[in-house]
Amino acid sequence: MAEVCGESCPLMACKTGHRAVVVRVGCDGTEACRLRALGLYEGARVSVVDSRNGLLLQVRGVRLAIGAAMAASITVIPLPQ
Amino acid sequence: MTVGAAPDAARGTDTTSAPPAPSAPLRVALVGNPNTGKSTLFNVLTGLRQRVGNFAGVTVERVEGTYRDEAGRSVTVLDLPGTYSLDPHTPDEAIALDVLAGRSDSPVPDVLVIVADALHLERNLYLVSQLVELGLPTVVALNQVDAANKRGVQVDIVELIHELGVTVVPTVATKGEGIDRLRRAISRAHELPRPERRFDMPTVVRDALAPIEAALVAEGVSPHAAGLEALLHITAPAHDHGPAVHDAVASARTKLLDAGLNPESLEAELRYGWITGVVHRAVKDPDSRERTTSDRVDRVLLHKVWGMLIFLMLMGLVFQSVFSWAAPLQDAIESSLTWVGGQVGALIPEGDLRSLVVDGVIAGVGGVLVFLPQIAILFLFIGILEDSGYMARAAFIMDRYMRKVGLHGRSFIPLVSGYACAVPAIMASRTIERPRDRLATIMVVPLMSCSARLPVYTLLIGAFVPALQVAGIIDLQGLVLLSMYLLGTLAALAVAFVFRRTLLRGQTQPLILELPPYRIPSARALATTVAHRSSLFVRRAGTVILALSVVLWALATYPKSVAPAGMADEAAQELQLANSFLGRAGHVIEPVMRPLGFDWKISVSIVSSFAAREVFVSSMGTIYGVGGSEDGAGLPEKLKAERDPVTGAPVYTVVTALALMVFYVFALMCMSTVAVTVREAGGGATGWRWAGVQFGYMFVLAYAAAWLVRVAATAAGWGA
Repeated sequence: MAEVCGESCPLMACKTGHRAVVVRVGCDGTEACRLRALGLYEGARVSVVDSRNGLLLQVRGVRLAIGAAMAASITVIPLPQ
Repeated sequence: MTVGAAPDAARGTDTTSAPPAPSAPLRVALVGNPNTGKSTLFNVLTGLRQRVGNFAGVTVERVEGTYRDEAGRSVTVLDLPGTYSLDPHTPDEAIALDVLAGRSDSPVPDVLVIVADALHLERNLYLVSQLVELGLPTVVALNQVDAANKRGVQVDIVELIHELGVTVVPTVATKGEGIDRLRRAISRAHELPRPERRFDMPTVVRDALAPIEAALVAEGVSPHAAGLEALLHITAPAHDHGPAVHDAVASARTKLLDAGLNPESLEAELRYGWITGVVHRAVKDPDSRERTTSDRVDRVLLHKVWGMLIFLMLMGLVFQSVFSWAAPLQDAIESSLTWVGGQVGALIPEGDLRSLVVDGVIAGVGGVLVFLPQIAILFLFIGILEDSGYMARAAFIMDRYMRKVGLHGRSFIPLVSGYACAVPAIMASRTIERPRDRLATIMVVPLMSCSARLPVYTLLIGAFVPALQVAGIIDLQGLVLLSMYLLGTLAALAVAFVFRRTLLRGQTQPLILELPPYRIPSARALATTVAHRSSLFVRRAGTVILALSVVLWALATYPKSVAPAGMADEAAQELQLANSFLGRAGHVIEPVMRPLGFDWKISVSIVSSFAAREVFVSSMGTIYGVGGSEDGAGLPEKLKAERDPVTGAPVYTVVTALALMVFYVFALMCMSTVAVTVREAGGGATGWRWAGVQFGYMFVLAYAAAWLVRVAATAAGWGA
């Protein structure tokens, strides 16, 4: 999982075009389960398609919209551009 | 990849062998992610009409269809709700797992058909990897292969069959391609070896899970399902199992943590680890990172300002169309009904039977059919928004605003659907996962002015609000109508806010939403949707409302009064009505409604409209004996001419009309809504309690608001 070394940050801090590796899904059980089933689990790579309101992510080839609160509870390590 | 390839030949199936028991119908369950075209595939497969949507999780009802396979065997297809995984987060997903694990009323299906979207195969394979572990004869329908090909995504079918261990049939459901081959694969699925788990579990995981599996099997779960469920329970501990399972889960989690594994993410890591390999070997996706057309459109449609503006303009367009495009069609329906009433009336001799047919039956149903064009147009728009993929975007941009009153972005669809009818709208709220969020939505949906209130509004506005030009194309009548809709909408938001701070306290669930790629809606699917919705409305009008119209006609006609000789027709009719069963009931409740300015005739119509609000208009028609006769549109004139028998003052004034409309904005005069709330709010005593809360608060609001309108308008000197 620790394939990249760097500062971890909330997913919400990522901007459009950024890529990152998820290190922690810190929300409630139900939401975390759903996120993981959708491919957003510890160790998964995501890219931010749109960060203007909430986050629009590309995860496993799918566009996933998540609210700001949820994006704040997910911790990631940004990947080099 | 082409649909014409021969994937099932790769499985070496024998065309001559027949299923074992051709007499018994083959039971098939259709499962898949939302947005895979599952509903369309179901329609094509069975020929049964069903709603098609693009918004995640629109399939909420249990729908079954039947076809005959090549051997003449009957095949029953059960369309399970769309789901991303078998972890039961929502009622829908729980249904899917319960059916497949044999825990529901439906028997375990003979064959499982998994619909997977070729364009998003990677994500779809998560559910596939869970489903194959159930060990049922399984066929994968790889749908939307045309869209994938267009994007340059190539799926190697033979390799995929090899990876999944089940038959894979490429399909294009919207064009009916690959359906015959899918049917053949379904009929032969039992001849193939049962599928099983496709990835190797690390020894430490297998050892940790073994006691859970054993405990589940001891509870009667099949060994196959137990393997899958053990993994599910590690991720999210289950509630509905015995202490043996609970203890096993707890100790397994400890073991995994000791081994340095994260029990929560274990299942996702294992499955996606396997999926990454499968996709690498079976899918050629040259430009997966390239920005697609959908993304470019989303740059605008999800913009804070432009996106909101476009959304509001779209909503405006929908409203304008519903009210203006429908008008000519409504006129046509109205005049043909008047004609039918006249023709039929002429065939029947004067008397009770003629009165029953013309005033009871034709008037009752006719008054409802008139609103069919509006319902059709509204559902056409909702269908276009859903099927094009825009509804999910609308939910996304609305989420921030809905959240302010404690609702979820997903509450938006039920609320907008509430403009058409609260019944499907409340059912649509099932896609909201958390019970409190869902209940808050259910509680306020009936405040959205539904299509059944429109007859009440238009009748009263047409009769009592002058068509004064206000500005440009906007006139006073339209403005009053708009304010009724706004009043209901604002009330819904305000009441939701109150509910989230009292009975339904708690945080609103964070938004997780898949945004499907934009696509051109299929005309066939839209036509199906509109026809389906319209026929539902007509059937309701044709049964409940027809029956009620006849009952009301009887209540208003009997017991017969003998008018004194020489009494004017109008007065005799009045006397008859006053002494009828209906009139007596109206007099009983009149004291309660009096403060609102409603006389016994209005009171009777309000009570009878509990069957459905549009009955108010047909009740008034029946009471005043106008519907269906040559002057079918004469009700407004009759109302204006009505005088109080004691004071001689007009009964219906602008004030009465406004008070009555405001009463209808708030009052839950709809037994279908009550019934569906009972069911969707948890059923049984809980369901009835919530339905009671809903009916009660809405009646109090309606009464108070109507009274306020009357007091304020009278003080302002209107309607004198």
